[in-house]
Amino acid sequence: MCVVGDLKLDGKYGESAILICADRIIAVNPQLPDEGLMLLFEDIAEAKVKRLYGNAIFRVKKCDGQTVDLLRFTYSATDLCDAVADFITKVKDGSDIDEQLEVVKITYNNLRCFCPKCGRKLASPEADCMNCKGKGKMAEVLFGYIKPHIKMLIVSIILSIITTAMALVPPYITKMMVDDIIPNKNMSMLIAIILALMGVYLAQYGLGALRAYLLRITGDSIIVDLKKDIYAKAQYLPMKFYDKTSTGSIINRINSDTTQLQNFMLRITQEAVVQFFLMIGIIIIMLVMDWRLALFSLIPVPVVALLSRYFGKKLSPMYRRLWRRSSSISTILADTIPSIRVIKSFTNEKKTIDRFSKYVDDWMREDKSAAKTASIFPNAITFFVTCGSLLIWFIGGHYVIEGKTDLTLGILVSFISYASMFYAPVNFFASLSDSYQNALASTEKILDIITAEPEHNFGAGNAPKFLEGKVEFRNVNFSFERSKKILNDINFVIQPGETVGIVGTTGSGKSTIINLLMRFYDDYEGEILIDDINIKDIDIDFFRSRIGYVQQEPLMFRDTIFNNIAYSLPGAHVDQVINAADIANAHTFISRLPDSYDTTLGERGVGLSGGEKQRLSIARAVLKNPNLMIFDEATSAVDSETEKLIQDAIDQVIRGRTTFMIAHRLSTLKKANRILVVDKGRIIENGSHDELMALKGKYYKLINIQSMSEKVAADKEAENFE
Amino acid sequence: MPRNFIDEHQIKLTVNDKIYIDAELYTGEKFTMLEPHRLFPVSGLMKYISLIDEEGNEQLIIRNVDNLLPESKEALLSCLNERYMIPKITRLVKRTEKFLIWMWTVETDRGEFTFEIINSYQSIKILYDGRILIKDGNDNRYEIPDLYALDKRSIKLILPDV
Repeated sequence: MCVVGDLKLDGKYGESAILICADRIIAVNPQLPDEGLMLLFEDIAEAKVKRLYGNAIFRVKKCDGQTVDLLRFTYSATDLCDAVADFITKVKDGSDIDEQLEVVKITYNNLRCFCPKCGRKLASPEADCMNCKGKGKMAEVLFGYIKPHIKMLIVSIILSIITTAMALVPPYITKMMVDDIIPNKNMSMLIAIILALMGVYLAQYGLGALRAYLLRITGDSIIVDLKKDIYAKAQYLPMKFYDKTSTGSIINRINSDTTQLQNFMLRITQEAVVQFFLMIGIIIIMLVMDWRLALFSLIPVPVVALLSRYFGKKLSPMYRRLWRRSSSISTILADTIPSIRVIKSFTNEKKTIDRFSKYVDDWMREDKSAAKTASIFPNAITFFVTCGSLLIWFIGGHYVIEGKTDLTLGILVSFISYASMFYAPVNFFASLSDSYQNALASTEKILDIITAEPEHNFGAGNAPKFLEGKVEFRNVNFSFERSKKILNDINFVIQPGETVGIVGTTGSGKSTIINLLMRFYDDYEGEILIDDINIKDIDIDFFRSRIGYVQQEPLMFRDTIFNNIAYSLPGAHVDQVINAADIANAHTFISRLPDSYDTTLGERGVGLSGGEKQRLSIARAVLKNPNLMIFDEATSAVDSETEKLIQDAIDQVIRGRTTFMIAHRLSTLKKANRILVVDKGRIIENGSHDELMALKGKYYKLINIQSMSEKVAADKEAENFE
Repeated sequence: MPRNFIDEHQIKLTVNDKIYIDAELYTGEKFTMLEPHRLFPVSGLMKYISLIDEEGNEQLIIRNVDNLLPESKEALLSCLNERYMIPKITRLVKRTEKFLIWMWTVETDRGEFTFEIINSYQSIKILYDGRILIKDGNDNRYEIPDLYALDKRSIKLILPDV
């Protein structure tokens, strides 16, 4: 196999390569002596990828102690080079070459998961490309939301056409009044005409009101559908999306961007159609009345079209920048408002206000710049349109004064009325680019969510009847970002019903192992199996429903205690909820609350202590009777007494279930059947408490350090009591 | 453990292996194969350099590179330049978009390169001092030191994204 790097050894962009055979590696690089180097595996002591900042180096340490850099590359090739380094190490150690080659192939295929049509990266080789499924096309996406309301919109358009046609009547009647009725002093005709006009106005505005009502209902329905869809989509997006996207930005998309889009869609489907018919109707009437004047009145149209194009181009980037600023404001809000306690406790109100003001001022600056262009634009259009009217007055007035044509004063006045009506749609289409550019910026952000790759449910519908709870990690490698590898070659097997402790220093990768097991992240290398089935082949909803997950910081919703517990099993019977609370040692404190199970919790569970919230979260996990239990430092944030209560609850819960416990206090893991010690993303020790103590390795050291600090704390406490 | 801030005049640094450095203190204490890490790789390129040993433990911190003796400064900067690869974009040659994925072909101080930006709203950041930082789909970093020092066409192409 061959790996091509995109950097030269001196860090400049350029190509170089390594060729890996069954027993040797050949590097081809103009910067190596003789432009190449061949090394036998038996001469290599260690092969590894050294991650730097924005790039990495494939280095080998030879048996004579000399280190050689063979390949340099940007992060795009790090995963593959990691696999190659593992390949060399394992083949050198006597592993089966075909088996190891297969591992490299899997890594390569994962990297090559591109849609053959559009080139977009896919989550896995089998995944559908969201873009090529048609969802990425803006017009198609938008039409999808308009389609269910098409009948309403058609009715609305018909009403619009009727009212528009009615709007064309009054100028014609003006002509009749000026040329016939008033000069001939025909009083009865005048009354009849005024009554007819009144009827026209009544119908026009009555139907207009009905149309406005229908439009509003339809518009609201469209926006509701859109908001629901974005929210629903957001629920199924992988954790990686949330790692990189701020909450404020997502809220902004669901709230203001959908409104922006709704306004635009209604303008397109309604006003654009009406204005188009109005424009055609007026052109026909004007041509019939006086074709020469009609042609003169068309003179400003090309100027308006050119201006529209010019301003549209100028406005587009402005609205994109404006969106960025607006999104930043939402991000600040989403960040600071829920953290108000922290802000107050550090008396940082002033600083927070200043920061917010800075972002709002930034927005204001961008808005001013956009406002300038957006304001000049319609007025420039109106100016040209007015010039068009003046032209008609001049030429038409000249014809009437000279009397050389059959153009009467009535026709001229009526023509001017039609001309000003004609410029309205011209103006509309010109200014459409402004709202189009604005909507375009919003649409892009909405599509960012709608077309984002959701969590893949490759095993949809595959729900094994019973899960025993055997868990296996096979050659698992993972990194959140390519700049740092978080898990490295993780291998272990847990038998059903075993309790496993995962220990290690902060940042060692303990929680990441759990995150992968929970399928929060799917883009890891290797396999995770439960009862010998790849977890990716099991229905994701079913799989997660079989896991009880208790986090370090339990999150409660703004709801009653009952509903917070029943959250894991909607429709749970009261007895079940009380039983779960009892198992979690929570029932006693709940029953002492004035409103007991009906107590409404504040935001994030405000009103309960950390230990109480933790026990509610255990009750929530227990209620669904899971096969696997996961406790992620569940007792680390509570005092010793509460820890005992929680620990008792945990002891009850884990019976007969495969359990993973990440624990800060190692004393809580003594009952674990097995302990995995994780360090720098690798499992360095694996065994029972006694075995690991006998090993006198990292676990032994951690236990000793903790025992010493606990002893010191106990002594101090004793001193204080004395 | 207290951090070991070191007086810049009391340390001698020599390059060991491109990205590693050896340090010798005035007291005679020696450290080998230390990896220099910027504690503020975005906001303070020449300040607070942490020297980490092969076990990943921090041994020393240098507050200000500029205060080092010239040979030591040169050695440290050479290691830092090897380690930190943030190409400086000097021209945007081409910028295309398909399904909200942007492909940029740029000229940099390290040559021409093409990369993709998955989410321009999250991946392009303008800093307080006017620098623009860009992160591509593979987590590689790029920098535009001063947008307005670029040619007009590049500015026009980049401006909507910042």
